[in-house]
Amino acid sequence: MSLGVAPPLSPPVAPATVPKKRWDVYKVKTNLAYLVMVLPGAIWLILFAYLPMPGIIMAFKTYRLARPPQDELIQNTFVYSLMTSPWVGFENFRYLTLSTNIGNTLMYVRNTIFYNLAFMVVGLVLSVALAVIIFEITNRFWAKLYHSILFLPYFISWIVVAYVVYALGSAGGIINNDILAPLGMDPIEVYKEKIFWPFIFLLANIWKYTGYGSIIYLATVTGIPRELYEAAAVDGAGKWKQFTAITLPHLMPVIVLLQILAVGRILGSEFDMFYALPNGAALVKDVTYTLDVFVYSMLRTSTPLGYPAAAAFVQSLFGFILILITNYVVKKTRPELALF
Amino acid sequence: MATTAEIQPRRIYRRVRVRKQRDVLALSPVANMLLNGLLILTCLVTLIPVYVIVIASITSEASLSANGYRLWPEEFSFSAYTFLFSKGSIVITAYINTIISTVVGTILAVIMVGLYAYPLSRDNFKFGTFFTFFAFFTMLFSGGLVAYYMVARQILQLNNTLWALFLPSAFSPFWVLVMRTFYRLNVPNEIIEAARIDGAGEWRTYLQIVVPLSTPGLATVALFSAVGIWNNFFNALILVDDARYYSLQFTIYTTLNNIRFLLENADRMQGLVNLSDLPSQTFRMAMAVVTVGPIILAYPFFQRYFIRGLTIGALKG
Repeated sequence: MSLGVAPPLSPPVAPATVPKKRWDVYKVKTNLAYLVMVLPGAIWLILFAYLPMPGIIMAFKTYRLARPPQDELIQNTFVYSLMTSPWVGFENFRYLTLSTNIGNTLMYVRNTIFYNLAFMVVGLVLSVALAVIIFEITNRFWAKLYHSILFLPYFISWIVVAYVVYALGSAGGIINNDILAPLGMDPIEVYKEKIFWPFIFLLANIWKYTGYGSIIYLATVTGIPRELYEAAAVDGAGKWKQFTAITLPHLMPVIVLLQILAVGRILGSEFDMFYALPNGAALVKDVTYTLDVFVYSMLRTSTPLGYPAAAAFVQSLFGFILILITNYVVKKTRPELALF
Repeated sequence: MATTAEIQPRRIYRRVRVRKQRDVLALSPVANMLLNGLLILTCLVTLIPVYVIVIASITSEASLSANGYRLWPEEFSFSAYTFLFSKGSIVITAYINTIISTVVGTILAVIMVGLYAYPLSRDNFKFGTFFTFFAFFTMLFSGGLVAYYMVARQILQLNNTLWALFLPSAFSPFWVLVMRTFYRLNVPNEIIEAARIDGAGEWRTYLQIVVPLSTPGLATVALFSAVGIWNNFFNALILVDDARYYSLQFTIYTTLNNIRFLLENADRMQGLVNLSDLPSQTFRMAMAVVTVGPIILAYPFFQRYFIRGLTIGALKG
């Protein structure tokens, strides 16, 4: 194969146009190969991401199950039912804002936003701090070891964390037996008291994601030219000054990027955590339900499907709008940091 | 565009320097000691949850019912583990389901993500922008849970199949974007051009040149999808009702949930349930340990790969 410059091609082409034509055929061939490579993933995206998208019209319909008749073109029960169900406009949305429901709906929206903001701020500060500290530690072996240990929780499932919460915080748990009882304090029961949950979620989130979150910051910090710090040190800048004047500006692009994505997800939530940790405890629902859990619980009870669909629609749409707005604002102020 | 300088994976931990004189930038010994102390403490706190379930799983049943969970139990026992593997059929079924899903799902993920991302990293792919957007858009907007639930159950017919446990997790737009960057930074255009001149087709170039150069990236994708599927709870929660197809996480969640409910309402249900029939408390904790076990055991071996893979691929996101 080392003879010719161009790969063997068929059919043969006229000599005068050889360079251009060969290149064109080659280009088509290459692009065909590329298209085949992209195909499996594209099919997955169509099936699991794009196919459900038209389903958002459920939010504007009263979904009624209907069997397609024999002569009907569409034989799928779901598609047929969806098409034959009557349009009801914003009726489903009105249900969520009825005077009896508005309190709950707002509460779950508040929980979702509140937890997300808390995780964003605390997560950002701790991850950056961890990255900088690990970078500063003189001994590379220890730095690696610490980081490996702090990264480990990322790989432990929320269900196992639910077991840990149970072993620590239930009536017969370790906190009661080994800490509160010896101190002569009243026992606690996390599944019955709301006050604990914001702290449990925050702690669990820090525990699970700080190590993971710091990786990207650590990589960025490592890439900052050493000369900058040396020059700053010679000019008498201390560690803190170096951090604010050199490290932070270099981290900004990454921080902004991650925050844009986080803002877009502000109405979403870590479903496994919010669902599994409280373990279905009904007494703490007011502080543990996020929109995701709310939608899921409506989906699994006999509620008409239009209601959770309406809630899910609001969630998707707002997330999308938020990410566009954030990106727009970033683009106006610092174009080089925008996502798209 | 990739240059030869970028092919070298960057070290993210500071190299230990040979010190002839004190480094201007090095921390003072006192500060270094304080930071080390802080991190040691943090690491210990981080490991508490792991300690808690391990110790609970080897507490003897008698001392558990007498004293509850303790940091250091009065009596140890490994009976929960022997019980788990002798007759716990629900756990064994769930284990087999999860192992199959993890293996198949991970292979699919590496193939699909690897193949999808490669053309996107090439400048000569005419539809690169379209397919990048095609994947990226799904990260911004979705049909919502209800629509997904109906489509997966009624159109894709995934409910109560083993497919339900891994197929929804077998691809990820996020990893496509990471891998695209990874290819760009680690596979120099010159090498691909050279292969082309030697007459290799696109597939041959990909399999024989690009894949070997991208092992850290592909390994990272593999590890994260493996852990993702192993730890997945949601797929089974919304798509599986039949105990034959339960995943490991779903099984242990159901167990914890049932028992907590029964214990808390035991007074109201007197006579309805026989509490001694329930799986014992230590048994449950042993289930949790067995779930994390493989991850913790494999962790030291794979952690050096993924940190490298993650950092190289994610750098210029």
